[in-house]
Amino acid sequence: MHELSIALEVGRLAEERLGADGVGSLVTVGVEVGDDAGVEIGSLEFCLEAVLATPPFRRARPVIERLPGDVLRLAYLEVDDDRPDD
Amino acid sequence: MTVRTIEVRERVMAKNDEIAADVRRRLGAAAVPAFNLVSSPGAGKTLLLERTLAQLGREFRIAVVTGDVQTQNDADRLARHTDRLVQAVVTGGACHLDARQIATALEAVDLGATDLLFIENVGNLVCPASWDLGENAKIVLFSVTEGEDKPVKYPKMFREARVAMLTKMDLLPHVPFSVTRAVDYALQVNPALEILFASALAPDGLAEWYGFLRARLLHRHAA
Repeated sequence: MHELSIALEVGRLAEERLGADGVGSLVTVGVEVGDDAGVEIGSLEFCLEAVLATPPFRRARPVIERLPGDVLRLAYLEVDDDRPDD
Repeated sequence: MTVRTIEVRERVMAKNDEIAADVRRRLGAAAVPAFNLVSSPGAGKTLLLERTLAQLGREFRIAVVTGDVQTQNDADRLARHTDRLVQAVVTGGACHLDARQIATALEAVDLGATDLLFIENVGNLVCPASWDLGENAKIVLFSVTEGEDKPVKYPKMFREARVAMLTKMDLLPHVPFSVTRAVDYALQVNPALEILFASALAPDGLAEWYGFLRARLLHRHAA
């Protein structure tokens, strides 16, 4: 179940990029996964949903794009700067 | 709602690979070859290491880091065959070792007084394929009691490995297993694979393996 490790690392990268305060405005996390990356897409999506529902995240949505090859990367982050605080 | 997109394009494994590169540098500086043993559970990694420590432990200073999901049974088994520290990493549910765990484990290993490092990964033919630990080579074991088609079922692992070892060869008379087909499948996935044959229970069943290790270590001393 290394998809959970990957999801946690995606979360760490997002937090590193946005800061612990900034991830609250995160709405979408785009991840690119190669066909030969050794990753089960459904499992990764499940794990990402779990990680992104846990503070400091506030239910950001994972979007996984399947690509040829063995790429595995955090492609982009979408943030909503107007997102109200809870 | 004003959504803005931030391009990142960062490899998810970048941090692990950065730590793995540092581990590789440390091992390289100390001229310690490191082999990452991977297989499905029960293929014979621990027994291979037990025999290897017993046979070569006086000839070479061998360090071992062994990973298990739960228990440190393997480390306890191996510790009976060496007076050196066997580092146990209990992953607590994770299906693989990662480079950070190896870097931490190596803090307790005197690399200057080490000739060879084995990393015994968690028994799993999927997840450990994706994690660079800083090793010189992954060695994938599969036994004649498994299917011949393991290499094509788990191609990433066999592509990542430099050596494939067919284990439990002494059981061949008792199981329907075609060595030819198994080797064909392995080479079909990775034509550069070096194939070894082993039986940890048969007399001289590990001669080829010991020869492989001695050659690597002699080469290391020559270099």
